[in-house]
This record gives sequence, structure tokens and C-alpha cells, in this order.
Amino acid sequence: NRADQERLLLLSTTLYVGNLSFYTTEEQIHELFSKCGDIKRIIMGLDKVRKTPCGFCFVEYYTREDAENAIKYINGTRLDDRIVRTDWDAGFKEGRQYGRG
Amino acid sequence: KRRRVSENVDIEDRLESLITRVGEKSTSSLESNLEGLASVLEADLQNYKTKILKILVECVAALPEKMAVYTTLVGLLNAKNYNCGGEFTELLVRHLKEALKTGEFDNALLIVRFLSDLVNCHVIVAGSLIAMFDNFIEVTLEDNIPQVRSDFYVYAVMASLPWVGKELQEKKEQEFGKLLMSIDNYISKRQKIHAPTLRVWTSDDPHPQEEYLDCLWSQIKNLRANKWAEKQITRPYLAFDGVLCEALQHTLPQIIPPSHNDEMSYPLPRVIFRMFDYTDVPEGPVLPGSHAIERYLIEEQLRRIIFKHAFDRKDCAASLLSYPMKNKVPLNYMIVEVMFGELFLLPRCPRLEIYYGSTFIELCKLQPGSMPQVLAQATELLFERIDSMNLSCIERLTNWFAYHLSNFQFRWSWDDWSSCLQMDPELPKPKFIKEVLIKCMRLSYHQRIVETCTEDFAPLIPEKPQSNFKYEKEGSGSLPGTMTAHQLIQAIKSKCTPEETMVILKDLPNPLKEDDETDPTYHPLRIDVFVSTLLHLGNKSFSHSFAAIAKFHNILKLLADTEEGQIWVLRTMFEVWRSHQQMMVVLVDKLLKTQIIEPSAVANWLFSSEMQPEFTKFYVWEIMHSTITKMSKHVDKLQKEVDDAKDKLDAYKRRINDGLEDDDDDDVPTESLIERMEERLDLAQNQQKRLFLIIFQRFIMVLSDHLANCESNGIDYSTPWYKWCIERLQQIFLLHHELVYRYISTLETLLFTSDIDFHILEIFQQFCALRS
Repeated sequence: NRADQERLLLLSTTLYVGNLSFYTTEEQIHELFSKCGDIKRIIMGLDKVRKTPCGFCFVEYYTREDAENAIKYINGTRLDDRIVRTDWDAGFKEGRQYGRG
Repeated sequence: KRRRVSENVDIEDRLESLITRVGEKSTSSLESNLEGLASVLEADLQNYKTKILKILVECVAALPEKMAVYTTLVGLLNAKNYNCGGEFTELLVRHLKEALKTGEFDNALLIVRFLSDLVNCHVIVAGSLIAMFDNFIEVTLEDNIPQVRSDFYVYAVMASLPWVGKELQEKKEQEFGKLLMSIDNYISKRQKIHAPTLRVWTSDDPHPQEEYLDCLWSQIKNLRANKWAEKQITRPYLAFDGVLCEALQHTLPQIIPPSHNDEMSYPLPRVIFRMFDYTDVPEGPVLPGSHAIERYLIEEQLRRIIFKHAFDRKDCAASLLSYPMKNKVPLNYMIVEVMFGELFLLPRCPRLEIYYGSTFIELCKLQPGSMPQVLAQATELLFERIDSMNLSCIERLTNWFAYHLSNFQFRWSWDDWSSCLQMDPELPKPKFIKEVLIKCMRLSYHQRIVETCTEDFAPLIPEKPQSNFKYEKEGSGSLPGTMTAHQLIQAIKSKCTPEETMVILKDLPNPLKEDDETDPTYHPLRIDVFVSTLLHLGNKSFSHSFAAIAKFHNILKLLADTEEGQIWVLRTMFEVWRSHQQMMVVLVDKLLKTQIIEPSAVANWLFSSEMQPEFTKFYVWEIMHSTITKMSKHVDKLQKEVDDAKDKLDAYKRRINDGLEDDDDDDVPTESLIERMEERLDLAQNQQKRLFLIIFQRFIMVLSDHLANCESNGIDYSTPWYKWCIERLQQIFLLHHELVYRYISTLETLLFTSDIDFHILEIFQQFCALRS
């Protein structure tokens, strides 16, 4: 429910990263986001049908503080000439990497 | 009754909001706002005195940029209500003593300055402030204290003088003169062995890079010569002179600095970073000279804004640009200089590097007509002077510049720097360009960088990153592992179990094995075939490689069960991925995290002869520092676990002693569990110490070799390689200074002994002087 969801968001160390170019790679995302701390994992958002990147990903840090820094300093700056948007995510679950393309 | 409580809360909130917001932008004048607020507070004093005093005291440390607003307010309150002024002073002094005792030195500094300004507001007697200053200066006479202690107390006095110098000169000329003489005496006899370690530039040309106390003292002496007149400090109390003159003043109680103990960590010294003078500023207001007090006052305030607004870069940029006296100085130049000063601060920059980078981007967005030009001019200057720049600063500059370019379509007139193409590529300028391009590529892609530069830049353009798998190359048939590698590929592709791969590897002969001898400590061929095949199959992305490592974790651990084996894993990885630096950085990271390899293996590998050609490349040191950091995080984690477990057990014992029954003692750790945890911690701490010893020993070896070789061949030792190497040694000391400091006596007796070359020893001595 909603209260649970909000609690998860307050503790989360995972970010949803959107408005990426379809060509932006995991490597590039790693390079930029590791400026804010040690990254646990990156999960690329994939097109449901073609299984190719489709403009979003999840970045998970080890600590809340690092993730907060990414929101402070990366949200609204550019990667591959596109303005990156970051948001808190309640935590990645299998299947959520498939977007609508 | 409940209503009464909530009413009180409402009023208290309203008071807090009124007090904290006074001095912000308003339709009426500051004077009338202050007058109004003083009357409101006076009326509320009867019922809310404690709360009001508490809020006011909190403003001292929290809102230093509005200090004069609050000193004036306290002055007005004191004029209306003498006791209130006394109680405020008493409370503030208590906070000062507490701050000095607990080592909150910046807060202490702000309180000292506030007390000084209260002399101007007729709240405090000038003579009693001098008495406090005298007590502070007396610290310089103490025996067996580190210089950083006396530095702090002298700095606290000096940093208050721009505010109160004039008043003290007028009211207590003789005592004040004596105080200034004592300071001058201290400044002239201070040790400055640490200064070279903290300098951004080794050269004083074109701008001297001064030690912070020296610089401030020169500025204060100039201020004194100008009869303590300055143009930067706002003094709203001047408007209330008539009222304040009538007020009765309080005498500060005796404030004696708490005595020294070895646990206390005082602020580290600094070197003042300067990159501009008035000739760099094209038109408009003039940049204050480096020994003008205005330069200090503005720099200090800008630094506070930058440090404080780290939670919001947009807010930071806006606050910097709305600096109150912006029309009197070339503000953009000062902002850029102070921002770079913070970014380059040694030993470490105060905030994440990306904070400064992203704030620069905001500054450019807010002032697109001027900020990008100033920043480009600054970049040009920094590049011009890069030969004498400290390596850590070159590295931070490289990271910032690539990041900045990636936010502005990589537009830069590289051609202006084309003279570097003819230079030795190991010199700082070409090296900087090359590393910037590598970082740009890591944020974008190879082709983009090729298109960004003209063709003649080809020598500085990074290689296209790709994996190199020797077992599928032409002519690989003659390699001893090729058949096995192909078998392995087939097996892994058809989803074999990890154990099945071991069977395939089993028949490979060990090239290290000689007849009838016992087994060698590792099996280079098995490692080579397995690791290179695994990395080759996972070469599509980081995630693919990580998945491969995770799946075959056990096999990797088995193959790399000795340090030699671990180093061979790293060598194999290097062979596969040598053109993809970022991949190597993340792979080493992964291998460490999964405990397939140990930190000491990484250090030994990076210093090995095969890695010598890579030694001056930045990524090698990215790996080294992240290895050290990972190790220390591991130790910290184990330490915390031990501490937590001990706390839990102690609490449990207390409960039992108090006769409290405890139902859920399930998660109370046992003594023997704690013992085991302590053993693990001990092991990790030894590992950590060993890591540092390896690193320093290897440094001493390579540097000694170089110096001895140069001497016997009669050539100058000061080559580009030497600069990179000796400054990397310095960087290890500085970046991890808290940690290294713990080993200082071991290092002194084991490694940095008097028989090693002075050039190496000097680096160690400068480091030791940082806190002495």
C-alpha cells in the first residue's frame, strides 16, 4: 500500500534514472554516477520486445547518502547531451527492467 | 490546559521565524526592521527569555553571513534590558567553552568573532575582550604542543581583528599594541615544513602561494597601516550609535583555552590559492590585491556559502551570485577562484568533487553572458601553469574539465593547445590533454572524441576500448592453452556447471613445474585460460562480466588461492582489457569485493615490472586509491560490528545486574562470539597495515633506483616520470592521511629511515609536519 511504498522510498538506495538516450551504455552511466559513491549495481531498462536499451535504468548504491548525493548533483545535468532525471525508487524487482520502449 | 501549550508553541515558532529571518530581503529598511524586532523581543522577554536567548545563540553559528545583524540586535536588546545582554553573553561564552573543549573549532571561531563585534555594539567591555585574546595568544608559549593548536588560537584572534581592530586601537591602544606584537612574534618563528605538501603550485610565479597565517597576517598589517579602515564589512550598528552609546557594558568572564590532549584534532593548515590578479580582469571594479583585507573577507564568505549550500547546488550558485557587495568587486572572478581553491584544497576537497562541477554548470546557466568566459579564461590559465601544479590538483582538474565538457557538447578549441603535440607525451600538458580525452570518452564514446578533435590530435586520442582474446586470434593454434580455451567456451555456452570447467582445466600442464618437485604455488596456465575465456565471454558489458565472475566465483577462488595466483589473475585481466581502463577499474573493484583477490595483490601487481609502462597513467592510481579505500571501509565495518556487539553485551549485563528479567536475550552476543569478531578485526587491521607497508616500500624501491641510476649516469633526476612518481607517493600520504598517521612510528623506524635518499625522506617529513 501507499504508506509502505513511502517508507520504502525514504530508506531506498536505488534511483530511477530517466530521459537517457537509447544509445547510452551502462559504462557511461557507471562513470557519471560513481562520482557520487560506490555503485552496487546498474540495471538497464530494456525494450520489452527487442530487449534493447530504451532510455531508463536503475542505479543502486550501497548507502543512502551516496544516492542522495546523486540526486543533488546529477539530477538535471547532462549525459550524452541529454538532461538526466533521477528519482527515488522503492527498489528494483525482476521484470521492472522492461519498459514500453 | 492543552490550548495553552499549543499557544506557547505558536508564539515560540513565530519568534524563531522572526529572528532567523531578520536581515533578509524586505520592503522596509534593515534599521527599522531591527528596531521593530528589538521592541517585539523586549516585550516577550518576560515570558520567553530562555527561548529567545537560545534562538539568538543558535544564529551565531548557523547564520554567520548575518553576524552584524545579530550583534546589532543584541546591542539594541542590551540597551533596553541590561540583564538580557548579560545573560546572552554568559550563554554564548558557555557555548564557546564547550566548542573549544569538544573540538568544534569553526563554531568557536564564529563565536569569538561575534563577541568581538559585540564590543562594537557596546555590549562587551573592550578590555575584557583583550584579556580573552591575551589568554588565546598565551597558548603559543605552551611547551610540547603541536603547532596546529597554537595556530588555531592565534587564527581565532586574527580572524576577528577586521571587525574589532579599530575599536581596540581607540580604546586600548597600549594593550592592543602589545597583543599585535606577540602575534607578530609568533608568526615570524612558526615552522612551515608542511607548506610544500599543501601547495597547489610549486611556483610563486606569477602569484605567491602563501601559508594561511602568513597571508592573513600581511593583510592585517596592511589593515593596521590603513588605520583599520576597510570597505567590506557591514556595520548596521553605526546607525544606532546614539542608542547603543547609552547602554551599559558587560565584562567577559575569564576564558582560558582547555589544555591540550592528544585526542584533539585541530584544523589542518592551508595554503591560500591564488590564480587571478587585477590584470586578469578586463574591466569594471578592480580585484582587491592579495594582501588587501577585502580579499580575505570576501573569500571567507564565499567559502562559507559554498560549504554550507552543498545540499543544493542551484541554491549555492544563486547565493554566490547575489553576494551582498557584488558591485564593488569583480564577483565572477572571485567566485571562480574560490571555487577552484576549494576543489584543489589539499589534503582533500571539503565536498564531493562533482559538487563543484555541477555548481559551475549552474553558475554558467545563471550568467550565460559572462560566467562561461571567465571559466574558459580560468581553464586557459590553469593549463598554462600546469607544469608546476600538484599532481592531485591536476587529477581533479582533469576530472572536472572532462565532466564540464560533457555538459557542454564537448566544445573546446583544442587547436589552441596543439603545441603540446610536439612535446614529450609524459610532460604535464600533453598528459593532461590525453587524460581529459580519456575521461571524456568514458562519459561518451570513442567516435565522439575522434570527431571532437582535429586529426593531428591523433597521438593524444585514446585507443578504442575493446577486449583482446588471444585464443581466438590468428596463429593462436600454437599456444599451449588454445584447445582448452575453445573447449571451455563451448562448455560455458552450453551452460555447464562450475565443477565441469574444472575438469576441462585439469589436464593443462603447469609451466612452473619442474621434474619431481613439489607443486608450485599457483598455476599460471590454468588461470590464464580460465580468466581470459571468462572475461571474453562476458565482454559485452559490465553486467555480463560481473555475472560471469559471480557464476564461477568458487573456481576463481580456487585458482587464485595464493598471492602469486591473484597477481596472475590481474595480469590476465590486463592482457584482455588493456585498452579499456574503466573496465579494469570496475573489474578489480569486483574482484576485491568478492574477495577473489586481496588488496596487497593489487598493490604488488600495480608496482610489477609488467605494469611499469602504465605507471604514470591516471587509471592505475584510481585502482590503487579505491583499493586502499575499500580496505579501510572493510576495517571500519568490522570495527563497528565489534563495538555494537560489545555495547549490546554491556547493556544486557547492566540489565541483569539491575535484576531485570530479560525475555529476549537471543540477540545478545556471547563473549566468545565477540572474541571471534575481534580476531577478524585484528586480521583485517594487519592486512591494512601490510597494504600500506607494501605500497610505501615499493615506492621507496622504484624511487631509489631512479635516483641512483641518474646519479651514476650523471643525468638530472628530475624527469617527468620522477614528478609523477614522487607526487603519487605524496598523494598516498595526503588522501589517506588519518589512516597513515596511525602508522607513523612504524614507518619511521622501518621504512623512512635516515639512510634513504633525502628527496624521498623529505616527503615523509613534510607529511609528519602537517599535524605537528
